[in-house]
Amino acid sequence: MRAKERVREAWVRLAHVGMHPLRLREVADKAGGSPAAVLAAIARGQVQVPETARRAAQVPASRRLRELEEAGLELLLEDDPSFPQELREIPESPLFLFRRGAAPRPGFKAVAVVGTRTCTSYGKRLAEQYGEAISRSGWSVVSGLARGIDAAAHRGSLRGPTPGMAVLGSGVDVWYPRANAPLGEKLLERGGTVWSESPPGTPPLGWRFPPRNRIISALSRVVVIVEAAVTGGALITARTALAQGREVCATPGDVTRDSSVGCNHLIRDGALPVHDPDDLVETLRLLLGEPAASGGEAEAEQLVELDDFLAGLDPDPVTALAELGRMQARGEATVEDGMVRRRGRLVDFPVQDTNMAV
Amino acid sequence: MLDSMFATTHSVALVGVQARRVSVEAHVGGGEKGRLNLVGLPDKAVREAKDRVMAAMAVSGFRFPARSVTVNLAPADLPKSGSAYDLPIAMALLAAAGEIPVAACRVLALGELALDGSIRPARGGLAAAVTAAGMDMPCLLPPGCASETLIVPSSDTRVVNSLPEAIAAAQGKTVTRPPDPPPAPRADIPDMADVRGQLLARRALEVAAAGGHHLLMTGPPGVGKTMLARCLPGILPPLDEHSALEVAQVWSAAGRPRSCLSLPPIRAPHHSASRAAVLGGGSGIPTPGELSMAHRGVLFLDELGEFPPHLLDGLRQPLEEGTVTIARKGATVAFPAAAQLVAAANPCPCGYRDDRRKPCGCTERMVERYQRRLSGPLMDRFDIRIKVPRVEADAMVGPPGEGSREVAGRVGAARKLQDGRGMRNRDLGRRHLDRLRMEPGARGLAEEALRSGVLTGRGFDRVRRLSRTIADLAGEETVQEPHLAEALALRGA
Repeated sequence: MRAKERVREAWVRLAHVGMHPLRLREVADKAGGSPAAVLAAIARGQVQVPETARRAAQVPASRRLRELEEAGLELLLEDDPSFPQELREIPESPLFLFRRGAAPRPGFKAVAVVGTRTCTSYGKRLAEQYGEAISRSGWSVVSGLARGIDAAAHRGSLRGPTPGMAVLGSGVDVWYPRANAPLGEKLLERGGTVWSESPPGTPPLGWRFPPRNRIISALSRVVVIVEAAVTGGALITARTALAQGREVCATPGDVTRDSSVGCNHLIRDGALPVHDPDDLVETLRLLLGEPAASGGEAEAEQLVELDDFLAGLDPDPVTALAELGRMQARGEATVEDGMVRRRGRLVDFPVQDTNMAV
Repeated sequence: MLDSMFATTHSVALVGVQARRVSVEAHVGGGEKGRLNLVGLPDKAVREAKDRVMAAMAVSGFRFPARSVTVNLAPADLPKSGSAYDLPIAMALLAAAGEIPVAACRVLALGELALDGSIRPARGGLAAAVTAAGMDMPCLLPPGCASETLIVPSSDTRVVNSLPEAIAAAQGKTVTRPPDPPPAPRADIPDMADVRGQLLARRALEVAAAGGHHLLMTGPPGVGKTMLARCLPGILPPLDEHSALEVAQVWSAAGRPRSCLSLPPIRAPHHSASRAAVLGGGSGIPTPGELSMAHRGVLFLDELGEFPPHLLDGLRQPLEEGTVTIARKGATVAFPAAAQLVAAANPCPCGYRDDRRKPCGCTERMVERYQRRLSGPLMDRFDIRIKVPRVEADAMVGPPGEGSREVAGRVGAARKLQDGRGMRNRDLGRRHLDRLRMEPGARGLAEEALRSGVLTGRGFDRVRRLSRTIADLAGEETVQEPHLAEALALRGA
């Protein structure tokens, strides 16, 4: 009993060193899975880490646990019962995870929606709609809270009733980019969860993002790629998803557009093509079974292209403009990024196949 | 014994766009042989007139006086610049030397002499004609700057190609009238019918034209912001005689004769243009800038975010006052500057932030910094701020929209209503707006928008100004609820 406690404390200290997860796994395996042995190796300099990390390794576990408790954070070790089962099954599974926010409800089913940070407004709109449709169907949306597609997916999911999850490359208490901080706070407020392998306070360093992508895909049953270039994180997530036996869906796009090439390649290689939110829910229904919930009366919001919106209101543009003005006066609609964001009662506007655009 | 002889002819000096009469006096007598003294605050180009005049006289078969010559440009305290005094100097000199009758000097002349005696165009032909008409004198002008004087009703303009021709024309022997200007090339103004889709932008342009409101369009590159702006002169009412003369004088002062006098001008300076090029200035006597050349027309600033902030700040006051004042060592001048400002901006440095087809590669910080540049005092002047999104393929092949002619008809009617009130809607201040006649429904909607925080006090003024124009377009005396609602949509963020 006492030994087990000591192993646990060693893991707590090791988790705060902030080593690259895959390297830590390798070192730990070599040391026979003993965290104390790894800590000793770090102290002796046999495992080389930056000076700050070496010092971090020496902080006693009790202080670390107190700090976590004060910050309202959770450190889950691999053998904790609350450690997500999905993550144990994968190759190169994480040894521990930091958690901020609510514990996901047991038996949750999650769908990842990821894509490029440099997205088009078309991709952003689709990601929002996907996020909303998934959340309304009772599945959790998982993404990386990055700029572009990730943020849009999270934003969309907030309109549905099901709490979402964000997996960060930085510490769970560091929002990156800063502009997405309100989005992250809102996700937590709505009962969502933020995960990270990096210790609290870790800055968003580039090398921390590829390993976090394997967690995004591992937490999910299905990974949906909205827009992706040939290189970049979204395709890494698709690759890890395949390696983990997850289903991959992709949204087809203009073959000449850089930001769609990745998705089109995935479809060619066997990813399931999805083209609108209904189609996505239909596909997910086949893969995940009947949705746990449907509808949900959270904030109903809708993003429509300006001209489509006006044409949908009235054939006479002057009348349509006046109606848009009334909606703005009542706070029911705002115009942003060349699109109308509409709240309140919703009307069906067709999602145009924008790939036909010249 | 030789008498000393004296003759006077006339010319003009430009102060701003205003012409000041200049007397060119020549005296021949006594002193050294073949010397020419030029006095009366001439600049370098005027001083060089000596050599051009002497060569042109010789080539034209006149003898340069064998005595000392003094030429005075009066009033002596007014700085004179440019080469346009060559012709009057030569004529006064010839008269003083007795080569031509003194009566031939009773003209107002303008023109640069070439060494072979021919005459090159000069700046300020229109101002010269206006002054000559006021003095009831013939006006001798080189070809190239003569046609612009047709707008002056009582002018007696004679086109002269060379020094001998000028002497003949001054005596009324051979009088060539300025040719009619080439037919107005209206073709370079696109028609509204060619704008596909863009329902919001089309209407915004119409309202901007009707009320003279400054317009800001934001959207990705290549969606037609520039084309929309270029449509604007085609839907503005044509300039009346008085305005057309004002505009023509500015253009003439800038050395750029106008071809179509009644068409409101549009100027589109590049964002690399200097402050002097846009606001007016230059060394010595200031010349009008792009802002003044857009007087009574449209100043189009493409890629507004790329213009240096100090230049944009410099635009604010002139646009508000309708004149731009430039102080220089030589003279302080005021140019007219009642232009309508139309600006296009990208939503971010790369331009593709709102685009549905091309990804935006800008970081949040870059976007923030860029949008901060687009704030500041000038931004408050834009009553209409709209987003111009990319038009989809089906709209591109759809039926053409309404043409400029129909839109111009409504705009013209709305302008008449404003003329009746004696004030353009753009210039309505809070004092006028508080007395704006509004239906209870319109008032209620405005109050709702103010209550919900969608509208601020300043935004409220903009919305009221716009609603007045929209009501004018509808031919209504009172602002009704749909007018105010539409104004809310056009106001933008």
